[in-house]
Amino acid sequence: MTAHEIHHPRRRGNWALTTLAIVCLLLGITLLAGGVWLIVLGGSWYYGIAGLGLLLVGVLLFRRSFAAVWLYLAVWAGTVLWAFWEVGTDWWAQMPRLVGPTLILILVLLCIPALRRR
Amino acid sequence: MPIHPLRSLPLLALIAATPLAAQVQPAQGLPEADVAPQQAEPSPDAQPGGAGDAPQGQTEQAAPEGAASPEAGTEAAPAGTSVAQAEAEAQALVERPAQPQPEVGADWPFWGGDAQATRYSPLDEITPENVAGLERAFVYRTGDMPSAEADGKYSPETTPLKIGDDLLMCSAMNILISIDAATGEENWRYDPGVPAEAIPYGASCRGVSIYTDPAAAEGTLCATRVIEGTLDAKLVAVDAFTGDPCEGFGENGTVDLWQDIGERVPGWYSVTAPPAVVRGILVTGAQVKDGQAEDAPSGVVRGYDAVTGDLVWAWDLAAPEANRAGPPAGEVYTRGTPNMWTTAVADEELGYVYLPLGNSSVDYYGSNRSEAENAFATSLVALDATTGEEVWHFQTVRHDVWDYDLGSQPTLLDWQGTPAILLPSKQGDLYILDRATGEPLTPMEELTGLPQGDVEPDYISPTQPASAWATLRMPPLEPRDAWGFTAIDQLWCRIQFHRANYEGYFTPPSSDRPWIQYPGYNGGSDWGSVAVDSQRGLIIANYNDVPNYNRLVPRDEVESVPIHEQESGAQAGENAEGAADPQAGSPYGISVNAGWRNEMTGIPCVRPPYGHIRAIDLETGETVWDRPFGTARRNGPFGIPSYLPFDIGTPNNGGSVVTAGGVIFMGAATDNLFRAIDVETGETLWQDVLPAGAQANPITYEVDGRQYVMIAAVGHHFMETGVGDWMIAYALPQ
Repeated sequence: MTAHEIHHPRRRGNWALTTLAIVCLLLGITLLAGGVWLIVLGGSWYYGIAGLGLLLVGVLLFRRSFAAVWLYLAVWAGTVLWAFWEVGTDWWAQMPRLVGPTLILILVLLCIPALRRR
Repeated sequence: MPIHPLRSLPLLALIAATPLAAQVQPAQGLPEADVAPQQAEPSPDAQPGGAGDAPQGQTEQAAPEGAASPEAGTEAAPAGTSVAQAEAEAQALVERPAQPQPEVGADWPFWGGDAQATRYSPLDEITPENVAGLERAFVYRTGDMPSAEADGKYSPETTPLKIGDDLLMCSAMNILISIDAATGEENWRYDPGVPAEAIPYGASCRGVSIYTDPAAAEGTLCATRVIEGTLDAKLVAVDAFTGDPCEGFGENGTVDLWQDIGERVPGWYSVTAPPAVVRGILVTGAQVKDGQAEDAPSGVVRGYDAVTGDLVWAWDLAAPEANRAGPPAGEVYTRGTPNMWTTAVADEELGYVYLPLGNSSVDYYGSNRSEAENAFATSLVALDATTGEEVWHFQTVRHDVWDYDLGSQPTLLDWQGTPAILLPSKQGDLYILDRATGEPLTPMEELTGLPQGDVEPDYISPTQPASAWATLRMPPLEPRDAWGFTAIDQLWCRIQFHRANYEGYFTPPSSDRPWIQYPGYNGGSDWGSVAVDSQRGLIIANYNDVPNYNRLVPRDEVESVPIHEQESGAQAGENAEGAADPQAGSPYGISVNAGWRNEMTGIPCVRPPYGHIRAIDLETGETVWDRPFGTARRNGPFGIPSYLPFDIGTPNNGGSVVTAGGVIFMGAATDNLFRAIDVETGETLWQDVLPAGAQANPITYEVDGRQYVMIAAVGHHFMETGVGDWMIAYALPQ
């Protein structure tokens, strides 16, 4: 009984973490692929870099590594800097730039209890 | 047939009382002496049957014989002259003095409000202070809703006239209707029986015109008549008080505009705008469905006697002299020429009519166009409405391959002492021209070194004119303007941006890659036109700020077929205009992604706002205020309404009314709201949620001292604002 009580929340945390890891991997792969295409076309490097970052965050989340949090914080901070550099306080223009990444930030932070600290 | 002589009295009294009676002398008050010869000289010799000069002698010979036997008449007439031509020549010789024009105020006697088309009303009962109390006074339903065949093709764009006690309007399928202006009770209706197959791209009837025959006895049938142009290309005239057809007008109240146009293909040639009435002549063009073929119906503009419906003149821009009285027997007006689908403005005083012309039938490829087409496409043309002769023209785009039709009705005004005309364009430029000469009165600029592309570099003009006075056009797009709800759809749009050719304003069409056209064909300013408050010295302009994402499609990849080769218009109206048009006869079809929407989400690929409203200082051209117009409440990804109450700035179609009370009324946006806006600040003072989109121009009028405001909530297929038949009148509580 004791073992089960300890094990159950852990399993739920694992399940959520795995889901978030898959989401980050898929988003990362998509952004990386499209971002590379955009770089080839002579466009912004942001999407490719952010995609690569998100892909690595996904991998780190799979490994239950706390480094995922630090890396994602770096991606998010870079995104905010880039977004304000591009469009300033045009809030409609900020929607695609800030809303999604900030939602993921919240989810990543919520995963902290389930991650291994070194 | 019942006649209501008493009901016509207020209108006639009003006309008699108008100060314009002082302006009946045509040339009076004009600074330019050289204008006078271009007008109809009120000479006694010009009376029909008067001392004969050469053309009159011809007329006298041909007409009686023609009446007895058409063949004989044709033979008797000089070579190439038909009976119709001879009759038209006789018509052209009738003296046509300026007539007093009804005034705006209690009435709304013209589609554009007053004869000048200012959309300004002197009514002032409703003010910014009390507008919040507006209530629905009545709601009238026209009952004209789409049949199965017409489903998804309705864009009624209804704007009534108010004359005396009545509101006069046409429904989407051209049913003429009169209702009581205070109660909404129906007086009469007349259905000309337009078939659904006649719908070109949308079933629209923007409005009707009225004409009071100065020679007719008060109260006789059709002394005051309502005239409309129909989707199946007819002019229809009925009595304003009974709705009975005017038997003396054409064939039992109907004139067939397909006459001398060529093969009758339903939906290819349609009238959606009210005719202009100048000196007793009805002037109409027609919408020629865009992008079908080079060999398309002519863009000829014709003048008809408002009483008899007889052709007075035709203006075929490629054969103005030869076809003035109609083409020779067995021939048709010049095919494929630029047409006038929107509303002209009449200048009763000068006897001119100002025609905002569109582009040639094949919009996006120009190398096959004639010199005449090149000279007149996308121009404002002043015709002497008594003779059909061109006085001047002013071209806004050279060698237009962007479908920058002039869509707005111009407005007559007095500009710094000169009789002038204000012309808004789809590119967003506002021009003020001398009405007599067409010379710009406001500064112009010349754009040079424009890209000429690979498709037809010799045809694309390296220079273009632009207004240096005022423009609604925004700076060119940049990659950072790509948009979406997430980084992924934004990235997709950003990739599309880089895959396309885009070198700013006037990027020429391309085929190897798509090209971005910005502004797109919806404007700038479209058919809703602008309102002019000359008391406050303001132009009120609502406008779109939306690109199109286009590609010329090589002939062997084109799947669509032109309308005359389709099975009874099967494809008509299903796509946005230009979505996949064949442009038969040219080397390319055209694919247009109107509003450049993301294929995956349906939302635009560029950041909002997509629509604005602006007040412009009439003296300086400077912006007094400007703001995004239209909330996000009905828009969202995958077509899901977001219910966001913020003014994101939506596309808008339809114009505004500005009042002496200091309130602007306007629907137009895709949020299905009808609003009152403070003319001084642009702030929304009041709004009402409508059952369908208000892609129509509102009106304001007065009955028994009470001010009403009316808007049509009828929806619009292209604007995706539903469909309806509601005419909603508002007033302050009594």
